[in-house]
Amino acid sequence: MSGAAPHLVVRSISKRYGPTTVLDHIDLTIRRGELVTLLGPSGCGKTTLLRAIAGLAQPDSGKVELAGRDITHVPPHKRNVGVVFQSYALFPHLTVAGNVAFGLKVRGTARREINAAVERALSLVKLGHLAGRRISALSGGQQQRVALARAIAVEPDVLLFDEALSALDRKLREEMQVELRRLLQDVKATAIFVTHDQDEALTMSDRVAVMNKGRIEQLAEPRELYLRPASLFALNFVGLSTRISGTVLAADNGKVDVETKVGRLSALGNFQAGSPVIVAARPEQLRLGEQSEANSAAGRVRSVVFQGSRTLVEVDAGAGESLLAELSERDGAIPRVHDEIRLSWPVTETFAFPMEAQA
Amino acid sequence: MTEAALPAPVAAPAVDRERLTAIGFVLPSFVIIAGVFALPLVLLLGVSVIDANGLTFANYRRLLGTPYYLGVIWNSLRLGLLTTIIAFLISYPAAFALARAHGALRSVLLATLFLPLAASVIVKAFAWTILLRSDGIVNETLIALGIIEDPIRMIFTETALIVGAVNIFLPFMILPIYAIVAQLDPRYAEAASTLGASPIVTFFHVILPLTLPGIIAGVALVFSLSVSAYVVPTLLIGEKYPTLATTIAKAYLLAREPGFGAAAGVVLLGIAIAVVALSARLSREPK
Repeated sequence: MSGAAPHLVVRSISKRYGPTTVLDHIDLTIRRGELVTLLGPSGCGKTTLLRAIAGLAQPDSGKVELAGRDITHVPPHKRNVGVVFQSYALFPHLTVAGNVAFGLKVRGTARREINAAVERALSLVKLGHLAGRRISALSGGQQQRVALARAIAVEPDVLLFDEALSALDRKLREEMQVELRRLLQDVKATAIFVTHDQDEALTMSDRVAVMNKGRIEQLAEPRELYLRPASLFALNFVGLSTRISGTVLAADNGKVDVETKVGRLSALGNFQAGSPVIVAARPEQLRLGEQSEANSAAGRVRSVVFQGSRTLVEVDAGAGESLLAELSERDGAIPRVHDEIRLSWPVTETFAFPMEAQA
Repeated sequence: MTEAALPAPVAAPAVDRERLTAIGFVLPSFVIIAGVFALPLVLLLGVSVIDANGLTFANYRRLLGTPYYLGVIWNSLRLGLLTTIIAFLISYPAAFALARAHGALRSVLLATLFLPLAASVIVKAFAWTILLRSDGIVNETLIALGIIEDPIRMIFTETALIVGAVNIFLPFMILPIYAIVAQLDPRYAEAASTLGASPIVTFFHVILPLTLPGIIAGVALVFSLSVSAYVVPTLLIGEKYPTLATTIAKAYLLAREPGFGAAAGVVLLGIAIAVVALSARLSREPK
């Protein structure tokens, strides 16, 4: 994390459509050159937030500042933002080069400069050889690149991607994630991605904002988001986990003992005794056998899913609770279905979340 | 690829059957078009250039060499052009309004477009004569309101002709444009605006080019309908505005000059074909 000055500042933006609150006092600060993802399920407000930044949706209240300028009431064509739409929205009546040149042309840039910029943008996305093609003659992946080149060509203050990769097939999407991240870092772009794909969020971004019901639940680096989820929603939305419900027995500065149907467990969290909570841990923290000073639970293996470098083992712990462990062959034999096993995991990697926040 | 080494599947009979089926489907329309369109067309052409003494171009010389008949051709073109231009200016925003409207409003608007198509042109043109004549509703109302003292002459003026023609042919302009506008992705305009295009620039560089196919279709339809209109000029302006269509009718019904009527018909057809061909060319994607 660098201490660079804020580049894009969203201050307490709210937006309602009829009775539904789509954005609920959102605050977001993004530094120059930062790649941030708005991650959340459909209807969480992430696209509306992106559109508010682009000027395509007017917030009911709050402010948007970009590059030191208050743009809350500036129309989109004067904001200097670049948007890559999910459907790409490439102009079908123009060629590839015509699309990339569009933004510069309407700005009245000199022809020679436009040609140079178009060439540069197209070579950046490795499509220089297709400059004269019609849009309809391109594949989905190529269209995606043209949309990117078109947005980059005007050198916007911020690039906004609205589910821009979701129309690509999986393999192409994964390749584009890596390539796009490198490209954006090369040109030192500030970018915001909107996606519901957690892998995309973790791969592409310096920071991820997990959104739910018009609010940002957590804004953190991918690693921190995964290892220290701030809410049950964030825990559920990113990665897998074991979740067991219970009641707090005793609390002791930042640690709680929880009575659950699979036994007594300890977890990190601040709760009063008697609070209903969900105790959770990431599957790779669970190990076969006992460990000292650790949580543990036993059960019968329900399923074993081999996934290459890891194997996911789901254990029926009885009373409707289940454990999810990610085991590696290196740490010993993988149990089989119906085996009775005991799993244990460190208390410092166990979190308690309030029960009612379950999404 | 192991399939490549295998002998090609025996598909020839299937293809033949497909072709036969296709011919079977096309045949009825082919017979109808050949019989009731192509054949009469050939006859029309023949009648226009052959008289009792053999081959002659006298009919065309008369049509294209007499100032009066050049005026007639101009009248037809003028009716077609004015109607088309005015209908376009009304239809383009109307198509957008229609596309933006939702639910009941959209249904009502579409019904007001489609319902008049059910009434014959004669009925509609006649309705305009009732509205516009000296003791018609428009004049009576204006007099009753004290705005004018004596009735204004409206019927049998060019204004009446154009107003009537625009009204009658308007759906043929709105509907093709509406069909295009309704499926225009709003993202195009949004993309243009985020790229720095003002609403006006967006309109001329994105919206207008993308809706061009609808405009061309509407223009071709309305022009070919209005340039050849017969009932509308006959009822709304009459003798003093002879058009190719009324000239054809006169040549056949009154003057008994089928050769001359046929020549006028060929010229009218030529104009309509030129417009349709031009619009087909324009609507083809450039490059």
